[in-house]
Amino acid sequence: MPGMNSGLNINDPTVVAAFKTALLHQGLAAALLFIVLSLAWVSVREFRGARPGDPAQDTRQPEAPARRVLRVGFGLLWILDGILQAQPGMAVGLPSEVIKPTAQSSPSWVQHLVNWAGTSWSYHPIQAAAAAVWIQIGIGIWLLLASRGRLSQYAALVSVGWGLVVWAFGESFGGIFAPGLSWLTGAPGAAVCYAVAGVLLALPAGIWRSSRTGALMTRCFGVFLVGMAVLQAWPGRAFWQGEVHGQPGSLTSMVQSMSVLSQPSALADLTSAFGSFVRSDGFAVNLIAVLVLAVTGAAFAYRNPRVVRIGLIVLTVFGLANWVLVQDMGFFGGLGTDPNSMIPMLLLATASYLALTPLPAADAQDASESAAKPAQEAQTAEIPALPEAVAPRSNWRERLKPANLSGTVATASLASVASAGAIGVILLGAVPMAAAQASDAAAPILAQSVDGSSALMNSPAPGFTLTDQDGRTVSLASLHGKAILLTFLDPVCVTDCPLIAQEFRQAGLLLAGHASQVELVAVNINPLYSDVSYLRAFDQQERLTSLPNWLYLTGAPAQLRPIWKKYGIASETLPAGSMLGHSDAAFVIGTNGRLRQELDFDPGPGTAATVSSFATELANAAEQALKQP
Amino acid sequence: MRVSGKIGVLALGVLVLCAGCGSTRAPSPAIASRTASPPAMSLAESTATSQATWAVLSMGAQSGPNEFWQLFLLTAGSRQWKLDTPPDIATNGAPALAGLAGPGLIAGVRPSLYLSYSPVSRTSDGGKTWTAGPPAPGLASVPDALAATPGGSQMLALSKTGRVASSAVTSSEWRGLVTERSLAASAAGRACGLTALTAVAYAPAGTPLVAGDCGKAGAAGIFARSGSSWRSAGPVLPAAWSGQEVRVLRLVASSSGSVALLQTGTGSAARLVVGWRADSGQWTLSPAVGLAGSAVRSTAFGDAGAAAVLLANGRGAMIAGPSGAWRQLPAVPAASSATLALPASGQADALTAAAGTLTVWQLNRAGAAWTRVQSVKVPIQYGSSG
Repeated sequence: MPGMNSGLNINDPTVVAAFKTALLHQGLAAALLFIVLSLAWVSVREFRGARPGDPAQDTRQPEAPARRVLRVGFGLLWILDGILQAQPGMAVGLPSEVIKPTAQSSPSWVQHLVNWAGTSWSYHPIQAAAAAVWIQIGIGIWLLLASRGRLSQYAALVSVGWGLVVWAFGESFGGIFAPGLSWLTGAPGAAVCYAVAGVLLALPAGIWRSSRTGALMTRCFGVFLVGMAVLQAWPGRAFWQGEVHGQPGSLTSMVQSMSVLSQPSALADLTSAFGSFVRSDGFAVNLIAVLVLAVTGAAFAYRNPRVVRIGLIVLTVFGLANWVLVQDMGFFGGLGTDPNSMIPMLLLATASYLALTPLPAADAQDASESAAKPAQEAQTAEIPALPEAVAPRSNWRERLKPANLSGTVATASLASVASAGAIGVILLGAVPMAAAQASDAAAPILAQSVDGSSALMNSPAPGFTLTDQDGRTVSLASLHGKAILLTFLDPVCVTDCPLIAQEFRQAGLLLAGHASQVELVAVNINPLYSDVSYLRAFDQQERLTSLPNWLYLTGAPAQLRPIWKKYGIASETLPAGSMLGHSDAAFVIGTNGRLRQELDFDPGPGTAATVSSFATELANAAEQALKQP
Repeated sequence: MRVSGKIGVLALGVLVLCAGCGSTRAPSPAIASRTASPPAMSLAESTATSQATWAVLSMGAQSGPNEFWQLFLLTAGSRQWKLDTPPDIATNGAPALAGLAGPGLIAGVRPSLYLSYSPVSRTSDGGKTWTAGPPAPGLASVPDALAATPGGSQMLALSKTGRVASSAVTSSEWRGLVTERSLAASAAGRACGLTALTAVAYAPAGTPLVAGDCGKAGAAGIFARSGSSWRSAGPVLPAAWSGQEVRVLRLVASSSGSVALLQTGTGSAARLVVGWRADSGQWTLSPAVGLAGSAVRSTAFGDAGAAAVLLANGRGAMIAGPSGAWRQLPAVPAASSATLALPASGQADALTAAAGTLTVWQLNRAGAAWTRVQSVKVPIQYGSSG
């Protein structure tokens, strides 16, 4: 999966600094958004006051406890995940260190899908990482503050959507298409739990008041656990052995790999010791896991509240032990994106148990008051739901009309205002990411992290008269009036020059609309291989022949050397089969023939992402030169 | 509610089933192949004229950007090999050699890293000065991917795509002569069941020769250009080899004609035969020498038709010419890259390379052991190719 690796160190200081700056700016914008919304809300309420015809205050019945557990629990988890996404190494490291390894054992179609997403992230690491932070924090805030009604359901649907995105692209579908799937190590993926919880939260409020909902949830959860027990017990999947042919078994490997992550030493010691235990007593560990999963699964499927409660207690104890000893809490090592699957799984288990439990008497009384509901509805809900609001409500379009807006704001609940702020936070992350994705080329930050910012110049560009790849004479003066991107290339170079040529080629494609105003020029830097036939061979190799504004210039060494010198380009013959030693640089020459910028142009890791990033930097520089001669 | 409940259970069941379907047995270790295929012949080689002997060996790392192939020269009258790698070109790919009359050489550097074509360098003064020849298509990974007429005015190249092209050294263009596919489809190619091209050479009269592996038993795939077509020019092999496939490992020019190194059979039945072709087209075959289950590691040719092979097991053999007999050589000291060399003096050298050091060995008078006579430290610029 080549696209996922930008080639940079995950703690690259330039990218980390830019990531922190982006988070700071977006954080300030989020805080400002909340302040403005709060001030507007308070001001309108204060100065306008309540008027006849305003929407009624919220008189809806309280939220079902099971739903509250899911909403608050997953709201907090989303916020924690958002905070974890703000770790410095995420911008560069997530695609190559988290997503790619997760997908490696999955089928090729999964890898292809995941590679697409990882490549998109790698090309715009700052925007992608910041988007993940704010989208998750925004969803979390929204879920926490919008406890009931449509806003809460919308928050749940957004949670479903983002949960599925994370599950598919970040977790490779929780590894369900890969061998070695195990509930202990996180299958079927933490994010799918978020999505399932979102689906449940998006259900109409009335459904939560039916005990059948709890019965269905516990039965489904029970079947799921039994299924996981079967997978865990399946012969030939190597879970029964802590060691296989002298190598750690799959569970042992997982525990041992987690124990070496950066984390508190006590926890590292604990997981390391457990890893040794699993290696020596793998059969016993797996037997306990299979039994617990099967028994608790059966308990949940049985649906008797007392039995389910016992099953929940056992599952919670076992799950928390597994969370600490096997999953190592999930979020250590600098690139942990969430607390893995155990906590969300236990939240789902708890919610299904609570949904099974009869509602408090007050709610039952509320329910009896609505006994006049149609018979059909009464058949589908043991405890009928109350209407969402006592007073009739106008639709959103009406409420957002300028004439009604002040009334809408004045009567809005604090939760509604905060939800609007949360939506703003999500957009704060999502919009820059979407805008960045509109470009196929990578962000210039990668190029800057490799070579730093360009040096500004303001002096006449040294002139030259040389021969191009087609044998025509070209001088700098003949290009006057055009912006020029100039570099120096060795046609027989095996590393940097082909990469720089690709950067120029991609810049040429980005500048296709300015082809008649911009020239991409390279000067040969090899005194031995200076014949035009080598320029043509190089152009063909790098597919530069299709660029209409590409010029590769050469001449006799006596012509070339003074030009190299004037532009400060070093050229040195090295011994023992080394290619010509030369400096990598690119110059931006304005339409007035003056040097504007010098870019240090060592292509660094030379990945598709960095090549593309340099191309963006070049194209931006050329466009600037056209705007400001 | 009951219906949706069942759907929910069904959906979850499908999920669990999917999980199970996706979980397969951990792959078992691959079963080792019963018949390990012989290692590919190294591109380390040497070639000699009356005035100079050239050798190329892999140095530095054994692969990747820190593997740098080095060219060494031993001039007539000297006993000291010297480093003579062409300048201003990265030799991460092995240079293909085409010896010229006198102390001249044409070297085409095979593609490596991001370089996909083959720069060509030429010297006529024993490496004192180099000039660039026309860039060749990416040369094939066989020792004889480049050939030149003795005067160096014409070149032949075998590309990694199986295309044979020629160029005048003063030209900048290569003209296609034949492709592996078109030659295989010709009458001569069909007669041999040509499966791959392995070498190009010029006959002394300037006729282009092409060699390849034949799929039909007992046929040797050597072809000569005749007008605009190709005719079979290979030796007629003894009837004893009629049931064995024949590979042409090398095809080079010598001062008296062309020399081919043929391999018949495989495994423990593999044997080598050298064939000498006079300009009249007449072939003389050497006796066969068995490989004793080993494989050819590198090869060397002298000026007057002498040939030598170094095997993967370290042992070697040489033959002085059409009238000679195979002479077994003692095992060459272990090294990451090695070749034999046959200078015009008649003395056999062994060149071994490890990391940045070349060691030159000579046979003692009895021909029973190698004696170290020279060591050359090569200033490899590690990291200079990325």
